[in-house]
Formats: sequence, structure tokens, C-alpha cells
Amino acid sequence: MTALYVLTWLAVSVLLLGVIARIIRILRMPLHLRWELYPVPHERGRAHYGGSRLEDVNWWTKQHNPDHVTELWTMLKEILLLKGVWEHNRPLWWGSFALHFALYLLIGVLALAVIGGIMVLTGSPAPPVLFAVIKILAWVAYSLGMLGALIMLWKRLLDPKLKLFTTGSHVFNLILLGAIDLTGLIWMIRDSEYAVSLTGFLAGLVTPTQSYDLSTVGYWHVSMVLLFFVYFPFTHMTHAFVKYFTYHSIRWEDTPNLPGGRLQAQINRLEGQVVTWAAPHINADGRKTWVDLVGETGEEKP
Amino acid sequence: MSSHRKQPKSLKDISRPSEQLAHVDSLDLFPLPPPYDNPNDPPFKQLPQKTRDAFEASLDDTLVVGLPKPKTKEEEERLVQAFISGLRKLFTSENNWTFLQPLTLSMEHCARCQSCIDDCPYYEMSGHNELYRPTYRSEIFRRLYFKYVNPGVAGFNRMQNGDIELNWTLIARLLELAYRCTLCRRCAQSCPIGVDNGLITHELRKLFSSEMGITVKDLHEKGTVQQLKVGSSTGMSPIVVKDNIEFVDEDMTERTGIKVQTRWDVEGAEVLLLHNAGEILAWPDNPGCFALILDAAGISWTMSSDLVGYDGVNYGLFYDDVQLARIAYRHMEIAKKLKVKKIVMGECGHESKALGVIADRVFQGIPRETAMTLMADIVFSGKIKFDPSRNDFPVTLHDPCNLVRAMGVVEPQRKVLRYLAPRFREMTPHGVRNYCCGGGSGMAIMSQHNFMDWRLQVGGRKKFKQILDAFADEDLNSNSPKYLCAPCSNCKGQIRDLFDYYGAKAKSGLHYGGLVELIVNAMVDVKEGFINWDLM
Ligand code: SF4
Ligand code: SF4
Repeated sequence: MTALYVLTWLAVSVLLLGVIARIIRILRMPLHLRWELYPVPHERGRAHYGGSRLEDVNWWTKQHNPDHVTELWTMLKEILLLKGVWEHNRPLWWGSFALHFALYLLIGVLALAVIGGIMVLTGSPAPPVLFAVIKILAWVAYSLGMLGALIMLWKRLLDPKLKLFTTGSHVFNLILLGAIDLTGLIWMIRDSEYAVSLTGFLAGLVTPTQSYDLSTVGYWHVSMVLLFFVYFPFTHMTHAFVKYFTYHSIRWEDTPNLPGGRLQAQINRLEGQVVTWAAPHINADGRKTWVDLVGETGEEKP
Repeated sequence: MSSHRKQPKSLKDISRPSEQLAHVDSLDLFPLPPPYDNPNDPPFKQLPQKTRDAFEASLDDTLVVGLPKPKTKEEEERLVQAFISGLRKLFTSENNWTFLQPLTLSMEHCARCQSCIDDCPYYEMSGHNELYRPTYRSEIFRRLYFKYVNPGVAGFNRMQNGDIELNWTLIARLLELAYRCTLCRRCAQSCPIGVDNGLITHELRKLFSSEMGITVKDLHEKGTVQQLKVGSSTGMSPIVVKDNIEFVDEDMTERTGIKVQTRWDVEGAEVLLLHNAGEILAWPDNPGCFALILDAAGISWTMSSDLVGYDGVNYGLFYDDVQLARIAYRHMEIAKKLKVKKIVMGECGHESKALGVIADRVFQGIPRETAMTLMADIVFSGKIKFDPSRNDFPVTLHDPCNLVRAMGVVEPQRKVLRYLAPRFREMTPHGVRNYCCGGGSGMAIMSQHNFMDWRLQVGGRKKFKQILDAFADEDLNSNSPKYLCAPCSNCKGQIRDLFDYYGAKAKSGLHYGGLVELIVNAMVDVKEGFINWDLM
């Protein structure tokens, strides 16, 4: 049991560190040129047709008042309902939605189980309704997830649209997710105390003396979840949170570089970097910066 | 008859030497509506064998870059090493701070879900040939990234991202494949993750240009290099451009009955008007109309006769950030020298995007706005009297990708059309979901070997179909005039070629022009009949 606790803490640490490291790496990347793509949902009153403030004459003299509520709403629809896939790839949506939504539900299960665990630790027994909700959510999540994994596996392996691009990881990811759902489902079927065991296990993470009881299939389930935690930060599945940056920092990032703004100082620093591109027209010599090169025509003799 | 279509069966096929990786049979092409549905139309010309022998032409039916084959194994190896070096530099801040973040995120997070592919006009119109899938090119590039730039743990990486063999065959094909995409970014709109296949193509072109010095002559030698040296990618020097504009002014004065006089190098003017210089040569009515409208609205404006100052073209946007910045820098410096209040970018999508949005983070300078915005403001200012019945013919609007998808300038131009063109109708789809003309990212000026055929039959097919569909309620078998408003020089170039190729003017009365021509045609003070179908 202690070994499983140690492994759990290790897996959670790898997950958190992996995610944080990726976020830091993204945040430390230099400012890029504007590359927004319309529609941009924070363009108040114009987002529905894809317009921007650039439609106004002398736009730089007008107050810009971004609509963050619509932006948030757009993001939520994208994350929770996979709106993009629904609109552009309907045949894939059914499987993909089932798979993704199941994961969100499982996060919900985990969150409720953590609350239950905290209650156990504080000595106030968790109310039966909490266990009931955990069980209902888990039932839906595992069933939906398994269905999603199966549909997606079938699509990945047989659909000509996807097959050409399927790598070992796609198959592995789906099998892993499907196995998590399957073991979870069997655990629930076999063990009417599933929710109690789960919260007890989580409580035991901080108080190893806390008693709990995991069935064999429960062990398998937890082990596979831990494997997923360790694996996830190193895969393209990180798109789950990187999507925030691809939308907010790129697709919807339309901050103009106006006098007195915060951008020019960063740009000056970036333009002071020494360029090493090798093509003759660039004229780089190992010393010239962007500023030096841009002032030239590229025809100058070194 | 059966199709002789050829297409890659796997990603790895790109490294396997063969005569030709893909072939689009004319039977695979998406059908056009009548009277353009003749199955006996000639298929596009094929490359002669001697061209195939001399150039790297093993990708598909055509050639854009036309790189001569390396003469020795050593030369080939040198090019492979240069490619790897460029690939690595693409992911460094010092060389590519401009796009490092978007590129890296697009490399590392694609779910390979293929939600983007059906939005690509090239892919759809080629009969869904796998080579032109937006993700085919990107996925090969992604595998190279994971192999050479971010290898991680080798076995794990291969399992995650698949493998690819890098050899000269792959590189030579990838080079051409970087010019089978118009960077229209329609596919990027449909990616649920925010991955951008258009950007990946852009970065590939940059790698070839900035590191290996390999690019398309029309963009580089005849484009940015000529512009920086002579003043314009058209080859016009300041003296020639002034001469040409003088002729435009005289012609406009005669045809409209209103004195038109372009002003040059006026310090302190409110507006520096910056056209795509191609307009002056190919569609001189366009700059003429601008001059007339700005004067009628009482705006103080000027053009610049400084080198580069009279040509808003910036092909650097399509292939090389350093060239992009060199041209944008000159535009900004000229505007500062003239102490104008703002730059107004003429009817040119890529000019508007390059100067209006992209260059915004290269230098802080004089504010810029698009002609669409200013024109809508003038039309509804009440300063000019209009008679919309003068535009009583069917009109539809082509949305230049750079104006709508990349800048969100969607409504001003249609507001003008709804007012001044009583028979205006939209295409389907339109606005930010428009389809590219098929000549985006500079492709419209590329016609080497048989590329013009390919660009029109495959590349521009979707747009041509959209135009025909927009006029489906008119008689397409009659040459009664129909007007396609295309407020972008590059798009107009492609549309001119499309209409010529299909004989659309004679067959269906299809004409094209900009927005300002329609505005002038509806001005009460202008002699009637400014738009002359015989002259178009
Ligand atoms: S680019 Fe986006 S839509 Fe296309 S395959 Fe990748 S994740 Fe899917
Ligand atoms: S950018 Fe446009 S042309 Fe290029 S792959 Fe995407 S949709 Fe196709």
C-alpha cells in the first residue's frame, strides 16, 4: 500500500511539474508578430461576422473595449462541446466528444473524491449524497469514455481520412484511456463501496495510517490512472491546456503596438539579437542584428 | 474513361524516389457548372520530359520553384545539411522570434484529427488528392522537427510522432509543396486546437529562403530585391511611375469630366496613399478613382516618389521575414519623412496585412488603415452625391483572405456595396469564411512552366465556381455584364487569368474590378458610364 502511495505522489508530481514546465516554456517564448485569425470573439458587436476594430476609420484614436465574456463563452463551448470538431468534422465528433467529455467528468469525480477525502480526514463523515453523485458521474464517465475510446480506435485504424496519420501513440493513448474506463467500470460493478474506497484511498495519501480497501481491479484502475499522469505531459494530449495559449496568445492576440504601450521595449530587445541565417541576401556576418540587417537592402558587400 | 490519379499512400512516400509522387487527372477535378462543364475541355499541360530531367520535378504535375537538379552527390549532401541547419535555426529566438511561439505550438500539439482538411480549396478541388491535404505537408515537417530539433528520447518520440527519412528527394519535394498552399489559413480557422497549417507552409518557405537562398524568382529577384533596388516590384522607377500617373490623371479627367491631379511628396498631408504599384500598370482606373474620390471628399493626401514609397507590395510576407521587414521599414520611414498623419493602404490585401498588422510589431510608426475603411467613411459622410442606379447590374464581392481572415476588415466594403450596387449579392460562403482566389501568397504572379494551368484549373477552381454560383440567377450563357468586385491587386491578377482561361467574359459577361470604380461610377458629378464594359 505504501508503495502505491509513493507512486501516486511521484505520478502527481511528474504531472504537475510536466505541465508547469510546458507552460513556463511557452510563456518564455518571445513575443511574436501579430498573427490573429478572425473571427476574434472579444471584438464587441463584430465577433458574429468576424469584424475587428480595424474597420473603424482612425481606429487608433478610439477606445477599445474587448468583450471578455463572449471570449470566455467561446472558449467554454470549444473546450466542453468541441464546437470546432462538430462544425468541421462531424463524423469524428461523436467519438471525440464522448472521449473528452468522459475525461471532464472523471476530473469532476476526482475533485469530489478529494472533497470526500478531506472530510474523512477532518473527521466529518462525507454525506451519502456525495458518494451517490460520485457514483453517477463515474458510471457515465466510464461508459462514455469506453464508448469514445472504441469509436476513436476504430476511426484511427480504419477510417481512410485518419489512417494515414495514425501513429503508435494514437493507438496506445486510446487503449490506455479505454483501459482506465474499463477497469473503472469493472471496479464499480464489483464493488458497491467504490466511492468510499476511492475517497478513503485519497485520504490515505496524506495520512498513511488511514485505513482503506482497494480491490484488485481498483489497484489496476489507480495504476493506470497514474501511468496516464506520468505519460500525459510528454504527449500532444497537452493540447488540453496549450489550447489556451494557441487561442489567447496567437489566434485572438491582436494587441496593437501603440506609442506608450508595453510592446515596443520587448521588440527593441528582440531586434537587438544577432541573426545567423546563411542565405547570401540576408547578409548576416555573425555580428549584425535585426536592426542592422533591416536597414540594408541585402545587396551590400560584406 | 477512368482516372489516372496518383497520390502518396503514406507519409513516407515523400522520401521514396519516383518519377512523380502525385498526378491530378482532369477527371478528378471538381465539376464546374454549365457552361463550364464540358468534359472535353483540354486537361492542363504536362511538363515536358526535358524539364523533368533538368529540374527537381518529382512532386506532381507542375513546377513553381523549379530548382535545377544538384549536379553531384556532394552538392546534394551540402543541400541536405543546409536544410537541417535551417530547420534548427527556425526554432531559435535570434533568427525567428517573429514566429517562434506560434510555430512551436503548431508543431507540438496537432491531434492529427483532420478536422482542417475539408476546408482547403486546393485539396477539395484536386479531387481530394492526398498530396494537397493541408496536413500532409505539415505532418512531414512535424516529423522532421521531432527528429532533428526536439528529439527527446528516440524510441518514445518515434512512437509519439512517427518517423520519416530525411533525404534529398524529400527536401526537393517539400520545397515545391511549400508552393501548393496559398497561406489562406482557412484550414487554421477550423482547427479545434489552434494549429495553423498555413503558418507551417510560411515557415517552410522561410527556411528555404533565409538559410538556403532558394525561393521563387517572382517573389525574390523580381519581387523584393527589385523593389528595394529600383523602387517597385513592377520595375517602375520613380520617374516612370510619375509619368504613368500623369497619364492616369489625364485619362480620368477626360472620362469623368472632373479634374484629377495626383499630388506627390506633400509634407504634412493627412494621408499617404500607398498603392500596390501593379494597379498603376494593370488597372490604372483604380489609382485614378482613388485620386478623384479623395479630392471630392476634401482630404489632403499625397503619394510618395521615394524608392519603395510608391509600391505597397511586400512579397516578403510570403517567404522571408528579413525582406518583409526591409520593405516595411522603408514604408514607415517615408511616411515619417513626409510627416503624414496616416498611411492608407490601397486595394491590396497582402499590402494591408503586411503593413497594417504584421509590421506593427516590427516598428512603431505612423498609423495605418485600409482603403476599405476610409472609402466607407467617405461614402457615408455625405460629402459626395451618389446615384446608385448607375450601378444597376449584378455585383458580387470577393473577400481577399488577408483583409478578412487576417485583419477582420469585413463590413466596410459590403456596406458600400449594399448602398451603391442595388443588385449586390453575396457569395457562399463569404466574409471570414471566404475561399481564397487560388492565387494567394503571391501565387497569382507565378506562371512558370505549366503552373498557370495548374493554378487556374486546380487552385482557382473553387473561387471560379463560387463566382458562377453567385450569378446562378442570371443567365450565364449570355454576355450581359456582371461585376465581380475584388478589392485586392493580387486577387485581381488571379481573377483576370481565371476569366481569360475560361473565356468567362465572352461566355457569361463576367467582368471584375475594384470597389473604388463602383463608387466613382455612381457619383452624380461624374459623367455617366464611367464603367465601360468594352474597356474592361
Ligand atoms: S491541424 Fe488541427 S484540425 Fe488539422 S489535424 Fe491537426 S489538430 Fe486536427
Ligand atoms: S492555408 Fe489555405 S491553401 Fe494552405 S493548406 Fe490551409 S486551406 Fe489549404
